[in-house]
Amino acid sequence: MKQTPSDSATLADPSARSTEFVPVQGGNETTSAASLLITAYVVMWALLLGFVFLSWRRQGRVETRIAELEKALSTGISKLGAGD
Amino acid sequence: MPRSKDPLFYALLATTTAVFVYLIGYVFLIAPVAQLQAGGLAQKIFYFHVPAAYAMYLCGTVCCVSSAMYLLNPSDIRDAVGRAAAECAVVFGFMMLASGPLWAKKAWGVYWTWDPRLTTTLLSVLVYVSVVVLRAFAGNGEAERKFASALGVLGTINLPIIHYSVLKWGGNHPTVIGQGGGGLRHPAMTHALIMGFVAMTLLAAILLWARARLALSVSRVARLEEQAIASGQLDY
Repeated sequence: MKQTPSDSATLADPSARSTEFVPVQGGNETTSAASLLITAYVVMWALLLGFVFLSWRRQGRVETRIAELEKALSTGISKLGAGD
Repeated sequence: MPRSKDPLFYALLATTTAVFVYLIGYVFLIAPVAQLQAGGLAQKIFYFHVPAAYAMYLCGTVCCVSSAMYLLNPSDIRDAVGRAAAECAVVFGFMMLASGPLWAKKAWGVYWTWDPRLTTTLLSVLVYVSVVVLRAFAGNGEAERKFASALGVLGTINLPIIHYSVLKWGGNHPTVIGQGGGGLRHPAMTHALIMGFVAMTLLAAILLWARARLALSVSRVARLEEQAIASGQLDY
């Protein structure tokens, strides 16, 4: 990797290196905008697809239960356990 | 999703999918990147974040109207729509609350701040969460339905407070659209936002339809079970 003049100067001068870490208010933001954008879209779609999947699964369970109950009521002989 | 044989449902589903595919392509490939202070590339979250907030308002309004109608004249369909709308409001609320902080991290340098709009929005989402939790765990009785309906009406009263909170109390949240805002300075940005609103409206309609059908099916199961128990064909 090619060094820039400022990099060379820093590396060549040992006195320029950090000797302590000081907290600063509002330091430079380095988070990648692209990664934040992609994360936001992935999270939003995951939430939506999770909701759709749970709805689809629950609808299947409810339809099965309706079919069981309708069968029990029409034949009048079944002894199903209560509860969904 | 409902295993519906209704062609209108599938037509709506196909249209929603097509609009979302177009929207995603347009936002990522055509809509220009905004200025750095607005988050630069991360500003593109805006085209889903704001429509998600609008969809939450929409579902909240449906929840309020159907809950108020249920309180005046109870029926299964009104209860089902109110319940479905509260669930959809929670989903859109979470979409908004998940995307907003990621944009804020780039634009403001922090994920969250107790800004008036953020705080009132969080409060509103929590009210809808409480409606959903109440209906999920407190049973399906008349008293529980009425209490949840009252909570649904209360949650929607908070929505105008959110809308006007920035104007009244200030804060960090952008005011780009409407009073005091400079608007979107490129036609492609405006088009992307309009398509975002169209896509979220269609999505809200399809989710409301699906969840209301599910809630009606659950009510039907409860009635069939009562009928079966009363006729001695079903044991406790």
